[in-house]
Amino acid sequence: MAILEVEHICKSFGRTEVLKDISFSMEKGQALSLIGSSGSGKTTLLRCLNFLEQPDGGMIRVNGETLFDGANPVTRQESEIRKKRLHFGLVFQSFNLFPQYTAIGNVMLAKELLAKERPDYKVRKKAIHEEIRARAEELLRQMGLTDRMENYPHQLSGGQCQRVAIARALALEPDILCFDEPTSALDPELTGEVLRVMKELADKNMTMIIVTHEMAFARDVSDQVIFMDEGNIVEQGAPEQVFGHPREERTKQFLSRYMGE
Amino acid sequence: MDLIMEQMPIVIQALNVGFIQTLKLFFVTLIGALPLGLLIAFGSMSRFKPLSWLMKTIVWIIRGTPLMIQLLIIFYFPGLALDNNVWGSGETGRFIAASIGFIINYACYFSEIYRGGIQGVPVGQEEAGLVLGMTRRQIFFRIKLLQMIKRIVPPISNEIITLVKDTSLARTIALQEIIWAGQSFLRGSQGIRGAVWPLFFTAFYYLIWNGVVTVLLGRLERKLDYFR
Amino acid sequence: MIMKKMIALMTAAVLAVASLAGCGGGSADETTEAVTTEAAGDSTEAEADDTAAADDTTAASEESDMAYVQDKGTLVVGVTNFEPMDYLDESGEWIGFDADLAKAFGESLGVEVEFVEIDWDNKVLELDSHTIDCVWNGMTLTDEVLGAMECSNAYCNNAQIVIVPADVADQYQDVDSLSDLTFAVEAGSAGEEQVSALGLNYTPVTSQADALMEVAAGTSDAAVIDSLMAAAMVGEGTSYADLTYTIGLNSEEYGVGFRMGSDLAAALNDFFAQSYADGSMQELAATYGVQAAIIEQ
Repeated sequence: MAILEVEHICKSFGRTEVLKDISFSMEKGQALSLIGSSGSGKTTLLRCLNFLEQPDGGMIRVNGETLFDGANPVTRQESEIRKKRLHFGLVFQSFNLFPQYTAIGNVMLAKELLAKERPDYKVRKKAIHEEIRARAEELLRQMGLTDRMENYPHQLSGGQCQRVAIARALALEPDILCFDEPTSALDPELTGEVLRVMKELADKNMTMIIVTHEMAFARDVSDQVIFMDEGNIVEQGAPEQVFGHPREERTKQFLSRYMGE
Repeated sequence: MDLIMEQMPIVIQALNVGFIQTLKLFFVTLIGALPLGLLIAFGSMSRFKPLSWLMKTIVWIIRGTPLMIQLLIIFYFPGLALDNNVWGSGETGRFIAASIGFIINYACYFSEIYRGGIQGVPVGQEEAGLVLGMTRRQIFFRIKLLQMIKRIVPPISNEIITLVKDTSLARTIALQEIIWAGQSFLRGSQGIRGAVWPLFFTAFYYLIWNGVVTVLLGRLERKLDYFR
Repeated sequence: MIMKKMIALMTAAVLAVASLAGCGGGSADETTEAVTTEAAGDSTEAEADDTAAADDTTAASEESDMAYVQDKGTLVVGVTNFEPMDYLDESGEWIGFDADLAKAFGESLGVEVEFVEIDWDNKVLELDSHTIDCVWNGMTLTDEVLGAMECSNAYCNNAQIVIVPADVADQYQDVDSLSDLTFAVEAGSAGEEQVSALGLNYTPVTSQADALMEVAAGTSDAAVIDSLMAAAMVGEGTSYADLTYTIGLNSEEYGVGFRMGSDLAAALNDFFAQSYADGSMQELAATYGVQAAIIEQ
């Protein structure tokens, strides 16, 4: 069964139609790359999946559970949305780390707040806290940040910040981890360390949706590539096919612009 | 010079009494205006339009008129309208009226600073909290509040230093703060007449008190320096 | 709607403050004393009628002012620090010829007397807003004062006199010589009325003491202040030894001001007559060195 099914998602801002009837699905453990020029709607699609924007219509299902149904107003309520968005994690282009928390503080915060809602929280407070901390340390170790755990965001490089942000998203164990142009805000020499971490995640079969302009990376790690233009999915398929033998003229034009550089 | 040395003890004593009145007004204003400002800020940002409109109008009126006129209206208008002194006689009544005038005035200024501080926290912070499954309440208290405080400390500090000096406006309704006390020796008081230096000397009190306030606020600012 | 109401309220408040702060007396200048008082009385009544609908419950406007004061048990006297009329002694108690007389008047009414320092510019406002009950502070009975307050009979003579630095005093011994000087006078004082009537250049300042300071500091060439004050503050052996007084511009009289229409003014006139008759007023005046200025009651 598909882990994610998106059907007929539409979204307009005012009179501008940003997403026009988007449908796709992906399997567990897959990495899906969303490519396309800026303004093509890929970031908006990602934000719809994370409920930062509400689609005007359509349906989103994860593991067969309907998270959003444009026809059912109950699924639009904020109280419903909060728990459902935990199926997704999101890594932002500009990191959005919390400046007043250390690296490990950023990773632990949301998990600790959620733990307070557990019925056994009062009894096992200390043990729960230890578990969360151990898990956060492990994640930061995987990100290669063992010696940076107690640093504040402003003391870290952009690449290190983005790796903290990835660890922070992973701490909540999302079914699907989304990346919104994760290297666009970084100096070129720092993109490598972030892409390497993402590649490792893909190798471990983390389910990922990646909005990116790094074509070589998309080709290398993705199981599936979607090319979007003007709010439509123009072409989708295996990376060899989309990058190697694009069927659509628009895809060819886009790729020649990007690959040429 | 000898004359000044002779007058010094009497003058200092009188100035101290005036200065205590100044400090009382200063602290009462802060204690009242800091929280009231936050309420007005939330009111003016409310999604309930009539409330936000009312608050913005009040802020506009208060910030658009001189504090001196506000003090005159607050102190004298009730008595004119009701034919009865609502403030109680003597110094206490004047102090209460002055406090209310200062609290309302400063709360309005503070509310605009709070509003800027709240709206100045990047949207990305709220979004990051949301995708991590936090409630809006948690996002406000755990993430935005401290960033907001960091943003507002410098402009609030400026207002507080202005407040130290603004307290002297309370003399328009004859609250006997330190400048009034200094001036009384010009007119003649306690056997000293036509002495100008006590009035000038009050400047030192303001200067020293502002020094203390500046150091304390600077410390708070440095305490928040650990993040950016 | 709310906006309109608020603006209306604010406007009303501002106008009330502005009109009561001193514009009221302006039109009454050319009329006689009695007519002035009456006319101003009518206008306040008209104003009261306008607002009466709002406060039908309070009978205060119909009640006599004496009853109001006796009811609350204190007569609040508005003063400024003005030696020898009202000033603080070393223990912080109000004394002076006016202060002591006010205490005696309070005793005759059976009420406590409380002194409150006020801003002289706001004296009418203080009275009308009931934050004080009378102005008893060596107040010159000018047309402006008579038009805005219910005043007692005059009880003390005074003059407005010119203050100049002692070293140039020789040049300014008649009114004609004053025309090239810049004067400092207390705003709203009898001194201001005099220099303004003579068409002299002047700067209004907040008190008579400030006017003296202007001359001492050289920021004004001359000042006009009360002779009673000048005697105490200017010349050899005082704080302003380098200043002196030259000519008097007028002679005038001091009185006590109450709220317009107050019955306390008549009560005070009775009290003055009685204490002049038994000599206690003269005795008090002698204590403060003003016995020569007392007016027969």
